[in-house]
Parts: sequence; C-alpha cells; structure tokens
Amino acid sequence: ITILESYEQKDLNERINKLKVASSRYQEDKEHAFEAKAIDEYIKLLHTQSQLEKEIPHQQLVGLSLNDTVHKCITTNHSNKANKLKSDFKIPDKRFWWIKLKALVEMRDWDELDPM
Amino acid sequence: KMSHLGNTNSSLNVSSLRELARKQLTTVLDSVRGKKCLVLDPNISAPLSLIAEFSLLKEHGVEKVHYLQQGPLETDLKSLIYICRPQLNYMKYIAGHHQKNDPSSVYEYNLFFVPRRTKICERVLEDSGVFGDILYVFYHLDLIPFEDDLLSLELDNTFKELYLDGDYTSIYYAARALMKLQTKFGLFPRVIGKGDCAKHLADMLLRMRKEVAVDDPSSTLSVSQSIDSLIIIDRSVDLITPLCTQLTYEGLIDEVFSIRASHVEVDSSIVGPASQKSVATTSATTSTTTTTPAQPSPPPPAKKKKIALNSTDKLFVQLRDMNFAVVGGVLNRVARRINEDYEGRHQAKTVAQIREFINKLGGLQSEHQSLRTHTGIAEEIMAYTVTPEFNKALEVQQNLAAGIDINLQNDHIEEMINRQVPIVQVLRLLCLLSIVNGGLKQKSFEFFKKEILQSYGFEHLQTLLNLERLNMFVKQGSTNNKFSSIRKQLQLIVDEVDEHNPQDISYVYSGYAPLSVRLIQCVTKGCPTSINPVVTGAANNVAGTGVSTRSIGWKGYEDVLRMLPGKSFDEVQRLDDGTIRSKKLIQGQQPRVTLIFFLGGCTYTEIAAIRFMAQQEEGQREYIIATTQIINGNSLLNSIMQKIDHLGHSTSGSS
Repeated sequence: ITILESYEQKDLNERINKLKVASSRYQEDKEHAFEAKAIDEYIKLLHTQSQLEKEIPHQQLVGLSLNDTVHKCITTNHSNKANKLKSDFKIPDKRFWWIKLKALVEMRDWDELDPM
Repeated sequence: KMSHLGNTNSSLNVSSLRELARKQLTTVLDSVRGKKCLVLDPNISAPLSLIAEFSLLKEHGVEKVHYLQQGPLETDLKSLIYICRPQLNYMKYIAGHHQKNDPSSVYEYNLFFVPRRTKICERVLEDSGVFGDILYVFYHLDLIPFEDDLLSLELDNTFKELYLDGDYTSIYYAARALMKLQTKFGLFPRVIGKGDCAKHLADMLLRMRKEVAVDDPSSTLSVSQSIDSLIIIDRSVDLITPLCTQLTYEGLIDEVFSIRASHVEVDSSIVGPASQKSVATTSATTSTTTTTPAQPSPPPPAKKKKIALNSTDKLFVQLRDMNFAVVGGVLNRVARRINEDYEGRHQAKTVAQIREFINKLGGLQSEHQSLRTHTGIAEEIMAYTVTPEFNKALEVQQNLAAGIDINLQNDHIEEMINRQVPIVQVLRLLCLLSIVNGGLKQKSFEFFKKEILQSYGFEHLQTLLNLERLNMFVKQGSTNNKFSSIRKQLQLIVDEVDEHNPQDISYVYSGYAPLSVRLIQCVTKGCPTSINPVVTGAANNVAGTGVSTRSIGWKGYEDVLRMLPGKSFDEVQRLDDGTIRSKKLIQGQQPRVTLIFFLGGCTYTEIAAIRFMAQQEEGQREYIIATTQIINGNSLLNSIMQKIDHLGHSTSGSS
C-alpha cells in the first residue's frame, strides 16, 4: 500500500521517502528479501534518472523503466551513460544488446549498428 | 444443431429467461412516467443490448441514452434513469450530476441497481447529500442468454475478486441466478463440483433453497424433470486452459480483437468493401475500446464496425467452434457455392424461374455479406498467426503443457522479454511455466522477476506479488507439482489431432485438452471409451452396460481430484419426503440436460469443447453452459495486473 501511495507523490523526494518505508517493512520479513531489494534498486533508479535529467536536456526520465531509460540515453547520443546504467544495474549482455539494437535502428545509425 | 434464441429445440427453454429479463426491464422503465433519459453503466450497455433493442426502449419512453461517466450530463429531459452496477465511482458521478444541476430545477432521479444496492453505495450518496433525492429500484438482470446453450452473468474480474480480494459478491449473484433457474426448471437433483469457491457457491445454493422453503412452505420446488445435475467448476482448479492461446475460430477472434457481449469491433476496412478504405482512416473512433495487447501493432485510429457474433449468422455457427486451421478451407468452399448460386440466374428462363431466383437473392446477399465479414476477419487473424512471435509463444505453450524441454522454454521466454513483447504475453507464459512445474527454481524465479521489473517497469512489483499470492507465479517448494501425473491420468495431451475431423476435445488447442472440460467428462463419463482415462473401479462399467446406466459423479477419479487445488463435492437434493427423482426421468424419455457453471469465467475453447461433447453424445445428453463471464488469458491477467494510470508510463520499446 505504501508503494501505491508513493506514486501519488508528485515530489520525487516524497516518493523516495515512501518507498524507503516500504522497503524497510519488507526487510523485516525474510520471505520478502527480493521485494526489499527491488524497491532499493528502484530508489537508486529514481536518483539516477533525476541526475540524468540534469545532464540530458529536455528529457523526462523519472518514471520510465530501466530499459526505456537506457533506450533514451542511446537515442540522445549518451552511450557512455547507457553503459554506466548497464554496469550499475547489472543488465545482462543479451538484453542490453537488444535495447541498443532497437535504439540504433530507430536512429538509423547504421555505422554504429555495423559492428554488432 | 444449435438454434438461435427464439426458435428453440433445446429441452430447456432458455429464451424464456430473455423474455423475463425484457419484461422486468420494461416494468422498471414504465415505473417512471413520461419521456426519460437513460444513463447507462458502460459495462452493462453491451449485455443489455442482448436483452432489449433500442426500439423497445423507445416504446417505453426512452428518448436518449447516455453513458454514465465523470463530468456534467447535458440533457433537457427531466426524468433521468440510471442503470448501473453498485460501484463507488458511479455513485460519485451521479452525485456530481446532481450537484451541478440547478437545484431549483425539477429533475427527477431514478437509480436502478443491477442487481442490488449496497450499504457502501448508500453511504457515498448520503455523504454527498443526495441520497434522499433519488428513487431506488433494483433490476435483477442476472444470467443473460447468449445462445440456447450459453448463459453469462457478465460480471468482470470475478476470479481476481474471489481469490485475490476475497470478495465473494459474485458467489452471491451466481447463487441468486441459479436459484432462479431452479424456480423455473425445478431442483437440480445433484450438485457436483470442484474448487473452494465452487463449494461456497454450492453451499449457498443449498441454503437459499432451504430459506425459500421456510419462508413459504407451500412453494416446495419439485425436482427437475429435465436437468440431471449442476456441475460447478471453479477457475482456480484450472488456470492452465485460459493461459494457453485459444485455437478455435471464435477463440482466436477473442484473442486478437476481444469479444464483448458476443460483439466484436473491427476496423471497417477489414470487413467492408475495399473502396471504403480511404474514408476509414480519416475519422477517428469515438468509443475507446481497449485494444488487446495481443495485437502485433495497434492499427491507426480507423472507423470501427461492430459485428454481432451469434447463431443468427449461419456461417458463423458453422465456423465458430472449428480449429482455425480448417476455417480457410470452409470459407473457400462456401465462396464457391455462393458463386454457383449467383450463376443460377443464367439458368432462369421463364418468368417463374426468374421470380424464384429473385426470392432467393435476399438470402444469398446476406450470406454473401457474412462470407465477406468472416473472410476479412479470418485474413486478419491469419496475418497475426503467421508472425514468428505468435508461433514462438505457441510453441512454448505447447511444450510446457506437454512437459517437453522445459529448460529450453526459459530461454525462449527470456528472449521474448528482451524483444519487449507485451508484458501480458510474457506473464501468460511465465505463469504457465510455474503452474506446470509447481513453481520455478529460486534462481530463475528471481531472474525473471528482475527482468520484468527492469524491462516493463517497477510498478509491476505489485503484479508479481499478486500472482504469487494466487499461486500462479511462485518458486518451487511453495506448491506441490502434480501436473505431470494429472496430465497422464486425464490424458490432457493427445498427440494425433485431426483438425478436420476431430475425435476428441483436444482439437481446440491442437493437442491439449482443456483440464476443466476433462473434469466435466469425468463427472458425466462422457469420454469416448478410446480415450477414457485409465482408472480403476467405477468408470469401467461404462463400456459394458451402455449409455443409459452411466452414473454421474466423481467416482473413480478421486485420485486426480486430490491432486488439484480446492475441495470437491457431490450433493444430492431431495424433496422433503425423500424422493430423489421421478420415475419418468430414469426411463430416459427426454434428453438429460447437464448444467455447467464456471465460477470465475470460462473461455471460448471450453465452450467449443463442451459443444463437441454434446455432439458426441448424439442427443443422449445436452449441456448448458453458464458462466460468470467469458475470459481469455489477457483479460484474466489484466484484471490481476497493477495499473498505475497517472504514472505516464510509456512503452517506447515497441517501435
């Protein structure tokens, strides 16, 4: 329920605070270790996204999925940021290449595509 | 053999239910005098159109029909009739209308709850200060006859309500509706079923009957002369069937376009003449229908055409329950025949012959139109079924159901996530994987959960938790895996399927026989002996003693039942003097009717499979299907998925 409430928070910090509460509640329960970890990772994603929004102008990133964030980084020519997301969030190679492939096709960037 | 409502050859006069619902509707309409404006719950409007056509509403003073939605309601009519389900958001809209309207005006508010009002709705209206200004009526719309053999309560999301929310309202509605059937057709001599909520329904039904007897001792119900039993199957018993892609014609129409209240909306360019194509793209659709996630890519907004899918369309009757693989051939043959019939005009020489041809022409033209419609729909489905995505998903499903190369299927599902296919399709496969294996290994369970959250968005954490609570997507150890022995005992996988000349219900999934319908076959012993599950005991008497003495019941299948979730039950309803049934019935003077109730919804393939059983019985037994609603894997999962609308979540990956 706290997770749901978090979506109602317009302010990013408020949302993160709600999520932190949810995460700590899940941490109390061994069975929900995955959920606690997932929420922590989401908080990390939100932080990263808001940081990226400052560096990449005119892009709304907060609220996107991780895949879509990576996709946006590539289509806005920030491949290095995409690579950082890959290592920070441990995206499997296979999935990362799929995202990259799609993004490059969308950009019609055949030069970058070629080595793939 | 299936007739449409109105000219029934079923031993149970199902269309009388439609008459009853019509009469009740006109009675409630007449209770409000003068010209009136009807404001309809959008979810009720489609089923209501099966009960009454607009002209009937007009005859009873309805001038205008609006949908009940948020925002002001503009009409000069002073009498407003709301017909809606008791839902809180609707109460808020109504209160909103009331507050916006000029208090000095003389609007008259009438609110018809379908099927009854609830305390919490009253509370909302009270809190908004409008409770006293509204007149309340109930409209007991329950089982709506779709066909002679198919009735639906048209409730949404019942499975989720029952098993996730613990909300048993739909059981109450179902019990009321079944009680009404008993009042009309007599007591069901036996009530047999499987599943925890099914058991609740059976108990409630037995209790209701006792209450009726106490309230009015003179109105003792007699035992039904035509119905031999009610079989209640609970969706939780068989979640595999809806998760698989339906392969019958009607089933695929539902998978690709979504059928609502036996109507489907398609682009008019698909079913109309090709010349309309240019016009179609210009005007946007007015009603926003939910597009199925199954569609490969959402078509550009085009003019939509609503098509009725019922047995007044003779061609559709022929096609609906067939495996899609043979539909093309049939359409081809019909096309050739119609062409020959048209050519018949050249043979007409005399005036009498010409007149005869012209008389035939009307029928020929409507046949022609129906052919055009179904050729268009079939082509569209064909375009979808030849895509690699469809075939990959189908292959994974069939391998999972058959228990072949399970580990290889993990890789396929992972690739689908990487390709960003719609999440519903991924979840259908993951749930199937989990159910047939009794859960996933810890490592792959967490791997897939992470893949989904990162690929489709964090908000699906709740979706995953919901699925876990429903035992649909779990890690190994939390449930026992008995599917492989269930599969064997019930012969769920049939290797040789002849779609042109099916011998067994497994044709509806090209090899997988719906578990739910196999259970029904266990009860009625309706399996052809060649595929009769190998069991010890009672089932063996089937072969020797012939059809007439076949007994109904679970006997012989206790082992399988124990492996499936939920309670099983078999109750006999007697008259108070202890007689079970009349002599006449035992002698079998008329076909026995078995009523099947699906609690939590059923699929078109299950309906097709039951109709196939009826054909196999050659008039010895008829089946009437009643259900809370008709579902498919997409609608089932959509009801369970967490929706966060105001998130502005975009799926740019599907470009």
